[in-house]
Amino acid sequence: MQNKIELTAISHHFETGTDRIELFNDLSFTVECGETLAIVGPSGAGKSSLLSIAAGLEKPTTGDVRFILDGNIADIRTLRANSGFIFQQFHLMPELDAISNLALPLRLKGNKAAFQLAREWLEKVGLKDRAHHRPHQLSGGEQQRIAIARAFITKPKFIFADEPTGNLDAKTSESVTSLMFECAQETKCGLVIVTHSNRLAVRASHTFRLQGGQLEQAA
Amino acid sequence: MSKIKLILENSIRSLKDSDGRIGLLTQTILLAFLLVLTLTSGSVQHYLADNLDQMLGSDLVIESHTELDKDKIAKLTAMTGELAQTALANITLTHKDRWARARLKLVGANYPLQGTLRLSDGLGTTEQISQNGPKEGDIWIGPRLAARLGLNVGDSLKVGDALLRVDAILLHEPDRIMEGHNVDMRAMVSHTNTTAMLGNDNRALHRYLLAANVPQRAEIEAWVSNNMPAATLIKKHGGQHPLSAFWTRTENFLGLASVLLFFMGAVALDMTNRRWLAKMRYRLALYTSFGTPMKTGITMAVGEWLVTFIATTVAALLLAFAAFGLIIGEMQNIFPGLEANPDFIAAAKTTGLVFLLLLALKAPSFIQLAQSSLLSLIRTQSEGTYIWHRLVFGLLSVSMLAVAYSDNWLLTGMTLFAVVIALALMLLLTWSIVKVGNLWGRHRTGLLPFSFFIAQQRLIAKSAQIMGLGLCGLLLLFTMMLMRDLGGMMESHARTHDGNLLVSQAHEYHVQALEEWAGQTGSSIRTLKPFVSAQLVAINGTKLDDYMQKPSDTLATLKDPIRLSWADQIPENNRLTGGTWWAQDTENWQQISTEPEVMTDMELEFGDRLTYQIEGKSYDFTLVASHAFKSGASSITFWFQVPGIARQHIEAPTRYMGSMELPETAWPALARLWQAHPSLSLAPLKELTERFDRTLAMVTKVTSGYAAMVLLLSLFVLAASVSGFRADDRLKNGLLMSMGFSNRDCLRLNFYDWGITALIAAIGAIAGTWIAGSLIYEEQFGLTYRPDLVWVSATVLMMVSTVCLIGYLACRQSLKVSVRNLIAA
Repeated sequence: MQNKIELTAISHHFETGTDRIELFNDLSFTVECGETLAIVGPSGAGKSSLLSIAAGLEKPTTGDVRFILDGNIADIRTLRANSGFIFQQFHLMPELDAISNLALPLRLKGNKAAFQLAREWLEKVGLKDRAHHRPHQLSGGEQQRIAIARAFITKPKFIFADEPTGNLDAKTSESVTSLMFECAQETKCGLVIVTHSNRLAVRASHTFRLQGGQLEQAA
Repeated sequence: MSKIKLILENSIRSLKDSDGRIGLLTQTILLAFLLVLTLTSGSVQHYLADNLDQMLGSDLVIESHTELDKDKIAKLTAMTGELAQTALANITLTHKDRWARARLKLVGANYPLQGTLRLSDGLGTTEQISQNGPKEGDIWIGPRLAARLGLNVGDSLKVGDALLRVDAILLHEPDRIMEGHNVDMRAMVSHTNTTAMLGNDNRALHRYLLAANVPQRAEIEAWVSNNMPAATLIKKHGGQHPLSAFWTRTENFLGLASVLLFFMGAVALDMTNRRWLAKMRYRLALYTSFGTPMKTGITMAVGEWLVTFIATTVAALLLAFAAFGLIIGEMQNIFPGLEANPDFIAAAKTTGLVFLLLLALKAPSFIQLAQSSLLSLIRTQSEGTYIWHRLVFGLLSVSMLAVAYSDNWLLTGMTLFAVVIALALMLLLTWSIVKVGNLWGRHRTGLLPFSFFIAQQRLIAKSAQIMGLGLCGLLLLFTMMLMRDLGGMMESHARTHDGNLLVSQAHEYHVQALEEWAGQTGSSIRTLKPFVSAQLVAINGTKLDDYMQKPSDTLATLKDPIRLSWADQIPENNRLTGGTWWAQDTENWQQISTEPEVMTDMELEFGDRLTYQIEGKSYDFTLVASHAFKSGASSITFWFQVPGIARQHIEAPTRYMGSMELPETAWPALARLWQAHPSLSLAPLKELTERFDRTLAMVTKVTSGYAAMVLLLSLFVLAASVSGFRADDRLKNGLLMSMGFSNRDCLRLNFYDWGITALIAAIGAIAGTWIAGSLIYEEQFGLTYRPDLVWVSATVLMMVSTVCLIGYLACRQSLKVSVRNLIAA
């Protein structure tokens, strides 16, 4: 069945009270399930806004965004129920230990085997021994591995990652990137990544550069 | 199921952090306070209802301050078949050189209609039952009266012109309930001795006990309503205990106290809510990133709040039941035989009310939660503070409680007005001081300008913090001040009353006797003011009973005859507060002036027609002026005054009230005066002082308890304030230290921050207290507000020091961790 997000001729800007900042103009691209797509570009180019629009979190100023799930046009709510996020700041719940953080999305969906599955994913990301450690007791790389596992654990159709290695050193970034792409390949989801890192971007099946309000496919 | 488990886990975790604990404690204290009030009230009401069934002594009682004529008695007897007449008067009984004020009951031949009298031959001897009252020429006296006068059964006692024989010690009357919580010493004689003993004392209370079946009851009720407007009818079936209105008023007064406490609780909850909201918004945004619908997230947040409320209810119930047991024990002194009968339905209703109030306070947070966005996790978004939502819902909540509990609208209105003005002042001061400070510091360096800069950045949060602390300061200061001044006033009133003997009522013929006696004993009469006894029966043609449904102290007092005085000019101890006082030579005698408190409580307006019954005749007066007590002259003032010319149109005996100064040698001669005039109402200062001391002890106990509650809630507000801003302060300290500032600098900055906060809050608190004092003191307590500057300054200094000290301790604690942790916090 076909699952994709289509962005057609979208433009976006925002107001700062006195000024109007144009982000991009007349952009079009499509993300399909099973694909990985990286958006690179300088700071302030509007990468995060583009990601938010693709994820249905924001509406573009003009243009059209269509979500197609299982061959049918879906609304934002349905898309949200079938998508996951990975953040630059990890955003783990500070009061929960690693396994509870991982089990949380499953428990919210009423999955009774939440902790069993979480344990399996902890093993998969190599943090089996850290199950009962709180976020502040984990390194940045370990926190992001938990965050990646948490995004994939519910098997969403799309994952949106905002600078997932932005807070990590080069070596840790490498292992986190590998983990993310492996998970995407295994679950066959569509992965949209916004990043500054070319090393990460080249791992994606498609790479776009957002600069000066234009989106160009990178070589 | 997993969601419910998650809700429970989240709730338990929330209760483990300091904000959660403060919130839980605050809610528990508020709920426990209102539950204690409800449970105590329920027990008292149950006691009153039970007493009404057991102790009325008849099916109906008609109570009147005028004796019914023969026709009316014949009519009533014809309607029921069974009627017993009693009369009550306060007189002074003397035996040798001892005297005692007592409540004398004169009973007719049919008394009692239902139930029996219990007597004994002497103090501590076996109890006997009697079906009738004392025979003519006999008197039965209560055990306390017997002990006070040194009387035994068989002794003789002169009452007025009648010489009576003490025939028995009176232990119990079946209609004792009619005396309510009156603990006066008692005596009983046959009704045939009335004139000999009471003369023409119109203050005697006449009661007609009737046995009646259902149709007869309805017939009598209708007849009394049409023919005896000044009479009160008390029914055993479906009626109200004479004390129930008194208790409702007490309960409502405590209700006002609970409104103020709730106000403080709301401030503490609002402060803890700030961090709760940030946490919940973050949590909901994360939940959304997992694909959880926002609705589910909000439902879970509401669920967590419900779990906290259930925990609150359990803790509050345990606390309330413990306190309830203790309070009932204490109250048995006022209501003998009172038992702890918890009314679970009423407790559930109170819990429901508190649930709604707390929900109203939390509603803005739930509205705000709906604005949570996953975008906030991707980029920083400005979050609205929803200050107007918080204010509106907070005021709505407090108003709901005020509507449910308070009956004294003037007092409630004035209190809330003072609070609102103080809050507005604090807001204005905060904004002005911070803005001016920031302007001043813009081109300066150092920690103080930086402190103003930070305050400017957090202006809304800072204003909320200052208003919260200031409000607590206001309530604390006002409660403490009122406690101190009320106690002082009562004490000084008792000690500085004109003269040392109060003449509470004297007839024309008593005045002559008093003058003679004063001349013989070297005493002097200080003041004697004339009045007639009048009962307000209708306002603008509407009967007093139908005029107002809400319970009020003023209304309760007006149901009994009041003293109606007359004056051509405003008395020198009064001042005009509204309307126009009549001209000295006015021909229009049907004008009246009253006190402003009476006008407000009775919802009177100038131009209203007040109908009084005086000696069985009706008189109409138009309300034209209002007058209030002014210190500096005599302390005797009247609620109602009419022009001097009105006296010529009123057919009633003149009575007097005033005061006398007795030298030490005159006191033993007082027994002689009373022996000749037992109905002369005199109250020696010593006796007054004792009464005041008893009242003062009770007032002190209640206000001390209330002050303790206010203090406790103030601590919660302070703790919530420190706790709510701890994260911000940690971040600020971490940043400063990372820039090379020392611990000492951080502490100094913290001191400036808390110093500014505490100072503005203190100024607001003093201003609010001053407004509340000026408004309430004179209106409600007849006191002139004279703030003691030394005392106020000392209290403010203490408040500012406490706030700064607690802020300093919290800052020192937070500086103990590393810079990295401070920033990461």
